[in-house]
Amino acid sequence: MNNIEITIPKTLQEALELISGGNEGIGIIAGGTDVVAGMRQGSNRFGGINQLVDVNHIKEMKGITGAGGIVTIGAAETFSGIISNKIIRKELPLLAKACGTIGSVQIRNRATIAGNFVNNAPCADTVPVLLAYDSTIEIKSLAGKRELPLAEFLKAPYRTQLNSDEIVTSIKVPLPKGDFKGDFYKLGRRRAVAISRITLALLIEIKESRINRLRIASGAVTPIGTRFNGIEKEFEGKTADEKTLKAIASRLGERVIEVTGLRWSSEYKLPVVQQICYQMLYSAVYGGGK
Amino acid sequence: MKKNFSVVGRPVIREDGFEKVTGSAKFADDLKIEGMLYTAMLRIPETHAKINSIDFSAIEGSQYLTAICTRNDIAGIKKIGVIKNDQPVFCGDKVVTPGDVIAMLAGESEEELHKLIGKIKVDYTPLPVLTDPLKALDENALLINEEAGTNLIVHHPLRKGDVEKGFAQSDFVIERKYTTQLIEHAYIEPESVTAIPMGVSRGIKIIGSIQNPFTTRRIVAAVLNMPLSKVRIEQSHLGGSFGGKDDTMCMLSARAAVAALKTGRPVKIRYTREDSILESYKRHPYIMNYKAGFSKNGKINAMKIDIIADGGAYVSMSPFVTWRTVVQATGPYLIENVHTDVRAVHTNNPYTGAMRGFGSPQPIFAQESLMDEIASMLNLSPVEIRRINGLKAGDKTATGQTLQNHDVNLLTVLETAVEKSDFTNKWKDNRENKKILFEPDFSNPVLKDNDFIRPEDSIKRGIGLSVSLRGCSLGGEGIDAAAAYLSLQSDGTIYLNCGLAENGQGLKTTFSIIAAEVLGTTAENIYYLELNTGITPDSGPTVASRSTLMGGGAVKNAAEIIKQRLIPLIKSEWKLGDEEEIEFAGNKVSASGKELTTFPGLCRLAYSRGICLAAIGWYKSPDVHWNEENGQGDAYFTYVYGCQVAEVRVNIVTGEIYVDRVTAVHDAGKIINKLGAEGQVYGGVTQGVGYGVFEEVTHENGLIRELNFDTYTIPTSKDIGEIIPVFVEGDDANGAWGAKSLGEPTLELASAAIANAVYNAVGTRLYNLPLNLEEVMLGKKLRPVNNKRGSLA
Ligand SMILES: Cc1cc2nc3c(=O)[nH]c(=O)nc-3n(C[C@H](O)[C@H](O)[C@H](O)COP(=O)(O)OP(=O)(O)OC[C@H]3O[C@@H](n4cnc5c(N)ncnc54)[C@H](O)[C@@H]3O)c2cc1C
Repeated sequence: MNNIEITIPKTLQEALELISGGNEGIGIIAGGTDVVAGMRQGSNRFGGINQLVDVNHIKEMKGITGAGGIVTIGAAETFSGIISNKIIRKELPLLAKACGTIGSVQIRNRATIAGNFVNNAPCADTVPVLLAYDSTIEIKSLAGKRELPLAEFLKAPYRTQLNSDEIVTSIKVPLPKGDFKGDFYKLGRRRAVAISRITLALLIEIKESRINRLRIASGAVTPIGTRFNGIEKEFEGKTADEKTLKAIASRLGERVIEVTGLRWSSEYKLPVVQQICYQMLYSAVYGGGK
Repeated sequence: MKKNFSVVGRPVIREDGFEKVTGSAKFADDLKIEGMLYTAMLRIPETHAKINSIDFSAIEGSQYLTAICTRNDIAGIKKIGVIKNDQPVFCGDKVVTPGDVIAMLAGESEEELHKLIGKIKVDYTPLPVLTDPLKALDENALLINEEAGTNLIVHHPLRKGDVEKGFAQSDFVIERKYTTQLIEHAYIEPESVTAIPMGVSRGIKIIGSIQNPFTTRRIVAAVLNMPLSKVRIEQSHLGGSFGGKDDTMCMLSARAAVAALKTGRPVKIRYTREDSILESYKRHPYIMNYKAGFSKNGKINAMKIDIIADGGAYVSMSPFVTWRTVVQATGPYLIENVHTDVRAVHTNNPYTGAMRGFGSPQPIFAQESLMDEIASMLNLSPVEIRRINGLKAGDKTATGQTLQNHDVNLLTVLETAVEKSDFTNKWKDNRENKKILFEPDFSNPVLKDNDFIRPEDSIKRGIGLSVSLRGCSLGGEGIDAAAAYLSLQSDGTIYLNCGLAENGQGLKTTFSIIAAEVLGTTAENIYYLELNTGITPDSGPTVASRSTLMGGGAVKNAAEIIKQRLIPLIKSEWKLGDEEEIEFAGNKVSASGKELTTFPGLCRLAYSRGICLAAIGWYKSPDVHWNEENGQGDAYFTYVYGCQVAEVRVNIVTGEIYVDRVTAVHDAGKIINKLGAEGQVYGGVTQGVGYGVFEEVTHENGLIRELNFDTYTIPTSKDIGEIIPVFVEGDDANGAWGAKSLGEPTLELASAAIANAVYNAVGTRLYNLPLNLEEVMLGKKLRPVNNKRGSLA
């Protein structure tokens, strides 16, 4: 592992100044659960780094607030912090559930939400949920700030739109308006400290036996967390019966093949993701789901 | 031999518990010595290659480098091994598996040493690679060890009766193939050892996470060309071993010692998890073909077994591991006609050796799956088939040994487990449960209407069991004896030590209980000394679940020697007649119920009278006999019996198996240390579930994929439900009050019980471990097409 200098700024301004110089050797560290592990493994992403700016002590990047139907989560908020928040547990149960499946208690006490989607691993567990909730993120640099949907921010596995002089400061999650039901699902090789093999986030609103609104997002079966807008459009307005639910699940299978192609793992993952999608829809529509 | 015990069998707090729980226990890597050097290993990312030249010129003279160690620095033997000296300390002209080390750098900064490693130029030519053990014995197969002239490590035949006749007499004959995977011990503490040069006349001292100090001493002495007495090994607190800190620690100790002598400074080798998984040996993958002939009434008449074990690149413990397999391959059943061949072969794969279970978990998975399959063909229950065939007292095992001189409790543990788990009712209910199955078909990857399964139909319950007999201690492997040192102090406290090692199994506590019981004192009065080969008598390796049996026997013997010296003193001091019964209990000494003095009082008295209060106890096993030609003989001097029942839920949509409950019934003989025994069951069952469901080291052309615990998935506490230990304490004339073996039996049974439970749940039989997601859904394993990980891009 490299010799690294760690700076701990107390304010966002200080942090932004530190990274403003266009120095390739400077990186951001939050919980460090991806950065430190990645450096130790010799990942190229962190290879050139010799200075880290620790954002854990920046007040502006912590805390969870709700106003105007939007929950704003500080970028450096830990998963443990998020899970223990009452508003999130009540209003954004899928997010609470996803955060609760991450790693172990020790990891959740350190790891942050921004770290999860900035790292943008295919198996980043909060990504499908944040996509299903139509989240947007706020990014700041000395030059100013920008806000964009998370879906736009994520480019490719381990790649985002973040520029080297920018810090993600918060994530804004609009509370779903309407009577949504749904769930987050994670499948790993064990029940804790598990790398996801399949994740799905699903929200569905039924009105008069029809699908009024539908939101589906996946992780681990697609190269990055992916929202399936096409499927959502196609099935909104359809009768919410078992046949439709099965058709949605099959369509998801088709889309996953299109997006991901056939891989070594597809023989297992493809049938399972369709079954899981069907079961989540079924539970949401006929009870059992949250 | 029944006795009222005052300490034995009661829960006693672990001798080293406080230190370990509070973090003050010193493990090998905690040792820091002024002037100590660290090391880095030079390897190449090849499975099999010829080394043409090594160019160190780019690092020579570096301020960070104290020494380069290669095979030229070795004064004694250049290849080592626990059975055969075939593993180079530093490779010369070839590497035969990716863990091989070509050279080692020593210097003050580990970090800088790793940078230097990258600058060494190794010119090598990759060679063809042999990874399929089934091709190892082909006529034109490449040879891993050319000197040996063959890839056959060992062949153990066993012939009893006439199998062809047995098959001819049978109503049915079936053949099944089973495979088991390569797995890692996954001790939580990676390897660490420090070698300290003591000067020309004093030799070398080695302190480390060493499972078998006496084996390590023998090997280090041979590598250094020193007498045994000049190599002193001291064991640190050990963070897990499970059979894994034997060969590897001998190897690392030898390397550290070579570097220490070369530099004249203490040298520490400590491994990262990746180093550890890459270089250390693993459990043998087995390919097992079983053919069984049986009658309509369920009686097994003949069994023919052919097993290939992948030994990997080095011999290691393969000959002994597979020997236990040949003895136990038919399981605990009375079968007249048996024909077994077990062969271990070389490949370029990671080498395999000792691991808790030691050649038993593999055949148990096969044979116990087979028994259930036979039962279901005959419409018998898993319990009935075992009642029909299970070994009883006086029966002959596959090796022709008559089971005698101990309670043959196979059927007792079976019936106990069946009753405790309500097996029969659950088994019937699950079986009658309507089955909805989902069988994915990859030629049509998009699911159709009737493929879909509702949430409420996706979980199926199952219950399954497996039974075993296990030979105790080393048996035909070799000399089997152990020593203990006991020394009473004048204040009634006691020093205790034994040549068997505390590897986490809790023997310090168990031995303290035994000594306390004999002398009528309490375990807290006993101060257990560290194992140091310079002081403690050689007691062989701490393996084969032999500590309680052999070491316990030695401790009891030592305590009795001293007691026999004290009794005449008591009799003369208190003028007692010969007929008076002297009792040692509750820290007091009494005669025919009348208290004479306290235990400390007696010690003070004996000390003042010049009586020797120290003794070395010795316990040697009864003789065993083995005929290598036909695999017949008294393989082990005694046996233990176990039955585990697994209750599972199978998710037929994802292939997940949840192990909800394991009822583990073991006859380990007398239970000395209750908490320790329960701990063995919890740990062993969990490891067994890991083996059955979760764990696998896979490799691409010999290069391991799972080098850390992110991808090598040992089960967490969330992955296994309740474990219920039940002990049936059979009588046995051996050991301390008939206390026998428990450590390994607890691990060997779970995988078969789970496989049988899965069958009970979904009606699908699985033949290949581990029963992971893909195995359950597809009946096969899926492997990534290459070893590259996206996160490293
Ligand atoms: C044992 C273990 C188990 C794990 N289990 C899971 C799991 O179950 N599910 C899962 O999804 N992940 C898991 N992870 C991965 C990891 O914990 C998560 O991705 C976590 O969210 C990363 O957050 P962090 O704060 O630790 O990020 P860091 O490692 O500090 O940073 C990750 C990346 O994000 C950047 N970054 C962080 N914060 C900001 C910011 N505010 N602005 C701009 N860039 C930023 C960093 O520069 C870096 O590139 C696990 C990791 C470990 C070690």
